[in-house]
Amino acid sequence: MPVVSDNPFDAENAPEILVLGIGSLLFSDDGFGIHVIRRLEAEYAFPDRVHVVDGGVLGVNLLGVISKPRHLIVVDAVRNRGKPGDLHRIDHEEIPSRIRAKNSLHQVDFLEALTLCQALDNVPRTVILGVEPQDVETLGLELSPPVAAQVEPMIRLVLAELERLGVSWTRKDSVPDVSCDPFAHR
Amino acid sequence: MAERIIVDPITRIEGHLRIEVEVSGGKVVNAWSSGQMFRGIEVILQGRDPRDAHHFVQRSCGVCTYVHAIASVRAVDDAVKVKIPKNARLIRNLLLGAQYQHDHIVHFYHLHALDWVDVVSALKADPAKTAALADNVSNAPWGGTTYFKNVQQRLKTFVESGQLGPFANAYWGHPAYKLPPEANLMAAAHYIEALRLQAKAARMHAIFGGKNPHPQSLVVGGVTCAADLTAERIAEFLYITKETHDFVKNVYIPDLLAVASFYKDWGGIGRTTNFLAWGDFPLSEKEPESLFMPRGVIFKRNLEKPVMADPGKVTEHVARSWYEGTQARHPYQGETKPFQGDPKYDTDSKDGRYSWLKAPRYEGEPCEVGPLSHVLVGYAYGQKEWKQPVDHVLKTLNIPAEALFSTLGRTAARGIETLVIGEAMQGWVMELVENIKKGDTQTYEPYEMPDKAQGVGLNDVPRGALGHWIVIENKKIKNYQYVVPSTWNLAPRCAAGKMSPVEEALIGTPIADPKRPLEILRTVHSYDPCIACAVHVIDPDSNEVYKVRAA
Repeated sequence: MPVVSDNPFDAENAPEILVLGIGSLLFSDDGFGIHVIRRLEAEYAFPDRVHVVDGGVLGVNLLGVISKPRHLIVVDAVRNRGKPGDLHRIDHEEIPSRIRAKNSLHQVDFLEALTLCQALDNVPRTVILGVEPQDVETLGLELSPPVAAQVEPMIRLVLAELERLGVSWTRKDSVPDVSCDPFAHR
Repeated sequence: MAERIIVDPITRIEGHLRIEVEVSGGKVVNAWSSGQMFRGIEVILQGRDPRDAHHFVQRSCGVCTYVHAIASVRAVDDAVKVKIPKNARLIRNLLLGAQYQHDHIVHFYHLHALDWVDVVSALKADPAKTAALADNVSNAPWGGTTYFKNVQQRLKTFVESGQLGPFANAYWGHPAYKLPPEANLMAAAHYIEALRLQAKAARMHAIFGGKNPHPQSLVVGGVTCAADLTAERIAEFLYITKETHDFVKNVYIPDLLAVASFYKDWGGIGRTTNFLAWGDFPLSEKEPESLFMPRGVIFKRNLEKPVMADPGKVTEHVARSWYEGTQARHPYQGETKPFQGDPKYDTDSKDGRYSWLKAPRYEGEPCEVGPLSHVLVGYAYGQKEWKQPVDHVLKTLNIPAEALFSTLGRTAARGIETLVIGEAMQGWVMELVENIKKGDTQTYEPYEMPDKAQGVGLNDVPRGALGHWIVIENKKIKNYQYVVPSTWNLAPRCAAGKMSPVEEALIGTPIADPKRPLEILRTVHSYDPCIACAVHVIDPDSNEVYKVRAA
């Protein structure tokens, strides 16, 4: 028996489409992607072939999650020479090779994980949906006003992206009270 | 004539670390380590429910989510005086063990190997000779001329497309690279295989960790994954554990030894003096007696006399850090008051401040923490699980135990403990199965939150000794401090002017080319630095953030 074989249990965990929020909840607008993911999880129901994942700042450790799906929709804070709150949509080919190479400030990061997918022979078709942040340095759980105002529009962008891929979604009947404090879980 | 080199930031790490060294006569004669970002999560925790602390702390770092969560939960376990059930202890051990397997494989192949392996040189290798070499040194399941030809072609595509990706920004062709092209190609091939494996190993956490990829199953008093204790879930966990262990045994360790045999001089470089391990993996309710990875301190490299470590002897210094005052404090009394003046980076004056990291000391001494400390403490106590593999490595490489206190020893220790823990994990899975078979399915023990209490969670995680200290008043968090492995290792000097482990380790490092200080990266990376800044906004403009200044 070969030492490294395919794990028969893997298949169950491979969605076709992955919606991935990334960022740190502790640094104001950097948590935007996670705020959006939490709202999506709480308020919307998706078919099994779609997974919605809070990727935090796991960076390269996300490789296991992102190397499986065919389509990847990333929600994150993106600096793209706009003003705070501007929404960006960066499609697969437009993700510049220079960011797909390691040029972000924190070298062990999500874009590096995406690059590494090439070595695993499955680069998911990726679109990055981003918001221009105002503040990613202040330690705090709240989004800045211009960025907070874009959570709802971003949710609509994600849903539109899913519709483009032929996914139908529904709103959950009873929407729980979603607090602005992402840690208010009881 | 002395010359200063600044490497800022150190790449292939989490967080923002700056290293400055002074070079004279081709060797490092002085060194300063500086954490460039303020990590003030302690401030966010004050006034909150202690039961929630772990949800916050696991967000402070992308690499260390589980380890901060477990440290926090243990600190509160200790404060509320709850004894967790056996199943909870086993599952916590298995999750921590899984973290070791995953992190160390990633570190060796993806964060550290490129300091020793020249990928560009691999393009010149003869695939047939590489296949013969691989057959000879490793028991890897893949190989053969065609396989290595394919890998080489893939590397070529990476290099020629200009999209070096993970292979960008390295010092290819540097004279300190010693491997022949064939060994480089073999290692590069295993880099890719290790990627596949790490993607799979990360699944271990999802099995008992609840929500992937942030573990949600930890609670004060135990774990909440009772529903996951089914035969299928446990079998899945065991399957991946075994697969990972096979990789470690048949690929990682042989690669480590093969690469190390070309770099034996690094047994004399990157040396430190004192080693601290809190230990981890309790095998019963009794701590520290039952810890599989034992607790202890080794002073002055004396392997004859390890002593029991006492968390009461820890202080954190701020005299050379950007915090108010100069008073060293125990973590229970710890303060996190950032310096109000301009945090000027000052490595020139005798009492200059130059880092956002505090400087932890044990009985006033700087101590290295991490794999090397784990392995040395186990070795010094003479525990056979630890002693045997160390002796095997020393014998294979034909080096004395004295060579362990080094960059070579640190990197070897990481592989050794991955092997030792992976072996033990399989036994823990079986213990869990037996216990459940006996009808014990308890995973949680209820407790009362006291009005006033304090507790400490001592852990030893892949990067080293991790302590969380909590003070509770009116059932809320009054004070929270954590002393993390990279703070021990990468701190600045303390009030007494003693260097931190990494600063000490860099002294004497040969520098072949000050503009390409590969040798510095080797020692710094050998600590697997992680200084958790967690700000990672995508920034297409920051094209050139990687500076080496020879000034």
